[in-house]
Amino acid sequence: MSRAFVLRAGGVLALLALWWAASAAGIWPEVFVPKPESVWSSLVETWTDGYAGHPLWEHLGVSLRRILLGSLYGVLGGVVAGLLIGLVPTVRALLGPLVTFVRTLPPLAYFSLLVIWFGIDETPKVVLLFVAALPPVAVATADAVRGVHEDYVHAARSLGATRRQIPFLIVLPSALPELMTGIRVAVGVAYTTVVAAETVNGVPGIGGMIRDAQRYNQSDVVVLGLLVIGASGLLIDALLQLAERRLAPWRGRA
Amino acid sequence: MAESSPPAVELSGVSLSYGGRRDRVLALGPVDARIEAGEFVVIVGPSGCGKSTLLRLVAGFAPPSEGTVHVDGAPVAGPGPDRGVVFQQPRLFPWLSVRRNVEFGLRTTGVPRAERRARSAGLLELVGLGDSAARRPYELSGGMQQRAAIARALAPDPAILLMDEPFAALDALTRERLQEEIRRIWQATGKTVLFVTHSVDEAVFLGTRILVLSRRPGRIVLDRSAPPRSAGPRTRPSSLALREEVAAAVRDAAA
Repeated sequence: MSRAFVLRAGGVLALLALWWAASAAGIWPEVFVPKPESVWSSLVETWTDGYAGHPLWEHLGVSLRRILLGSLYGVLGGVVAGLLIGLVPTVRALLGPLVTFVRTLPPLAYFSLLVIWFGIDETPKVVLLFVAALPPVAVATADAVRGVHEDYVHAARSLGATRRQIPFLIVLPSALPELMTGIRVAVGVAYTTVVAAETVNGVPGIGGMIRDAQRYNQSDVVVLGLLVIGASGLLIDALLQLAERRLAPWRGRA
Repeated sequence: MAESSPPAVELSGVSLSYGGRRDRVLALGPVDARIEAGEFVVIVGPSGCGKSTLLRLVAGFAPPSEGTVHVDGAPVAGPGPDRGVVFQQPRLFPWLSVRRNVEFGLRTTGVPRAERRARSAGLLELVGLGDSAARRPYELSGGMQQRAAIARALAPDPAILLMDEPFAALDALTRERLQEEIRRIWQATGKTVLFVTHSVDEAVFLGTRILVLSRRPGRIVLDRSAPPRSAGPRTRPSSLALREEVAAAVRDAAA
């Protein structure tokens, strides 16, 4: 634990030092590689005075809300789709290729269509994240469902469970470890997609903030946006890992 | 009374085959057998002879290709809480505590909470796991897991207990102890037990009746009642003759 912590902290510090050295050496213009201290001052500035009329925490909060809503709907939809794909051969034949098709599409490509359908407010953004987050959950759930050992089902049926009870009493709980992995991947996908979702009318929002800063060559704000997204993503993934250990502690042991 | 009640299990012309029309493989049978309520029947045979398959047909996990399986006079249409199953691997549900595993078959059959608690406590006591109710299955040793699996199978109070090489994956000491316990549980509960093993010693020690299956396609080549036994050493002269006969039949079956 402490050794791992020292290694992690050391890695972060080494990267910071490298960054500081590269910017201090002045090899590249400041627009390409902003100094750590100017990123820091833009953090202080956007936190107190805001950027594009909104404080940093509001940009972050709005983006997180989109990520969480999109992931939530994506997880719910993905679990239902995965259960059906895993359990019903007809649905597997119908939906399986569709899920793979959607998974290979770059989110920016279908975002244009979503804007035409839903306008430029919250709906297309959340729908985009939902569409991006659903396939990993669906695939993980479907695989886990098909991987349930038949003797679990046999045991449950011999203990009086009906066919209709099996998905809820046996299949879903035994798929929980893989499902949690799918959820982590889905939230990660939602994170990487949120900047794409905020290319249109994205302010407030971290992605919108980055887009705006890019237009004015404010690379310190761009880097700040990247760091904020990355740091909050690390935090959320840590929470999800904690939830995974709580909800499925038998992973690798049964 | 005894004549009028149907047999616990009746197999008539039961066979099972795999594969398609061209490459059809007969795995089992035809098998005819009649098992009375309260018997402890051990099915023994070489590996791959279809003895586990036979047990799974009685459990209702698959239908036979030919013939019929009747349990308590009714044809088997699928698995049900009248037939408890213990597998070679415990197959406890890892997302439930030991107690909730045992109560699984009580919830599905609608037993109220207070009675569930009382019955699961009694069953865990019966298998010697009174202290482990709150633990998760993966926190138990292999032998304890199999005890819990036996308690879980007994919970809905099935008339028949089907055991598929339940002790094969355990160490010798644990196996012997569990063999004693399952005899004791059988005596205490009066259930019909159908027990599959590849061990002649286990068969002779446990069974009131021993069926030997030939190698594939498995057919019954020996059907012997064991002499009534009382508590005593594991190897008694009366069982030695039976052991020889069963061992010879298994040897011939495997050849």
